[in-house]
Amino acid sequence: MADPKMRFLVVDDFSTMRRIVRNLLKELGYTNVEEAEDGAVALQKLNSSQFEFVVTDWNMPNMDGLTLLQTIRQTPHLKHLPVLMITAEAKKENIIAAAQAGASGYIVKPFTAATLAEKLEKIFERLGKSAVA
Amino acid sequence: MVKKAKFDESGDSDDLQALFDSIASTPAVSAAPAPAPVAAAPAASDAGDNDDLQALFDSVAAEFTAPAVPTPKPAAAPVVANVAPAAVAQENDSETIEGVFTRIGQMTRQVHDTLRQLGFDHALQEVAEAIPDARQRLSYIAQMTEQAASRVLNATDIAQPIQDRLGADAENLQAKWDRLFANELSVDEFKALAADTRGFIGGVAEGTRQTNAQLMEIMMAQDFQDLTGQVIKKVVDMAQTLESQLLQVLLEITPNEKRTDAHTGLMNGPVVNSEGRDDVVTSQEQVDDLLESLGF
Repeated sequence: MADPKMRFLVVDDFSTMRRIVRNLLKELGYTNVEEAEDGAVALQKLNSSQFEFVVTDWNMPNMDGLTLLQTIRQTPHLKHLPVLMITAEAKKENIIAAAQAGASGYIVKPFTAATLAEKLEKIFERLGKSAVA
Repeated sequence: MVKKAKFDESGDSDDLQALFDSIASTPAVSAAPAPAPVAAAPAASDAGDNDDLQALFDSVAAEFTAPAVPTPKPAAAPVVANVAPAAVAQENDSETIEGVFTRIGQMTRQVHDTLRQLGFDHALQEVAEAIPDARQRLSYIAQMTEQAASRVLNATDIAQPIQDRLGADAENLQAKWDRLFANELSVDEFKALAADTRGFIGGVAEGTRQTNAQLMEIMMAQDFQDLTGQVIKKVVDMAQTLESQLLQVLLEITPNEKRTDAHTGLMNGPVVNSEGRDDVVTSQEQVDDLLESLGF
């Protein structure tokens, strides 16, 4: 597990899902979690304070997850952020588009706590932040 | 002439009325020897047609077969009596335009009659009225499921700390009891441990009671399923009716229309039925495999 104080931004238009992800992150030891209900609000928050990890849905009003991801990757002070997509979109087209846009991981709904833990760990490893050698 | 689609007493829409009015007011050709197509006056005036409308249509049709009198409304062909060739040439042009208008009028009449005869105009009206009702039902479903989700999450928020505390206390006591069995505790410490353990056992009973109450709350929160299930069934029925009515109307009007697949893009939501599809994945494993195969 990486720094427990790591700041997460959870982006999803359904408050229930945001709550579930928050609880799961808490289970894994990460208690510093902020929420946003769409890509536009997420960008606002990302630009006004410091975050180390973004977890986002795809299908949202105002700005969808793919656009959010693309914008993050094009913004100099944000492009390093790991972005994990958690979404119901299950077309191969979607997965490929997300990967090409620079997503750090892709989880398809419905998902399990174990899957979330596994994907987080994988991303941390790649970032060289994992405490587990 | 932009009017909201209303239906007058005869059932005809105001738009159709206006269309016929405009056809009726276009100027007639003067002394045209060329036989204009006889307007096929619909014989079925028993289909509930307005008699006035029928008469109007008949008169429009008649104007093209009888020697016509120039109507008061000036058209592209002002009658210049002494220029015979020019008049004839202009007559021919106007005749073609009039012919087109007449044919359009006839076709519109046919479509309208077909819809009416098949009873679809009223059916479509009903279906259109059913849609706000369906919207309401779906909002209700969203509301119920959200409430249920909230109740469940609240219950877990209450129950989890209780369980965590019980677990922590148990571990704590176990460590002390291990030390006791290893002869590491004094008599006083042992007495304290005994008291603590007694308190703990009472706490377990209480904690279990509270957790069970939350579990009951979680179970009861599932009652939404019964209500939403009923409403969903109604909406599905409505959607089926709507679909079949529209399809039938479409088929009647445009039998040669080819169907084209809508381009659905990347915002489709969850896959409800993956049968026969090879463009979607159905498990996290497949997602991982696909990404791996692409080198991600």
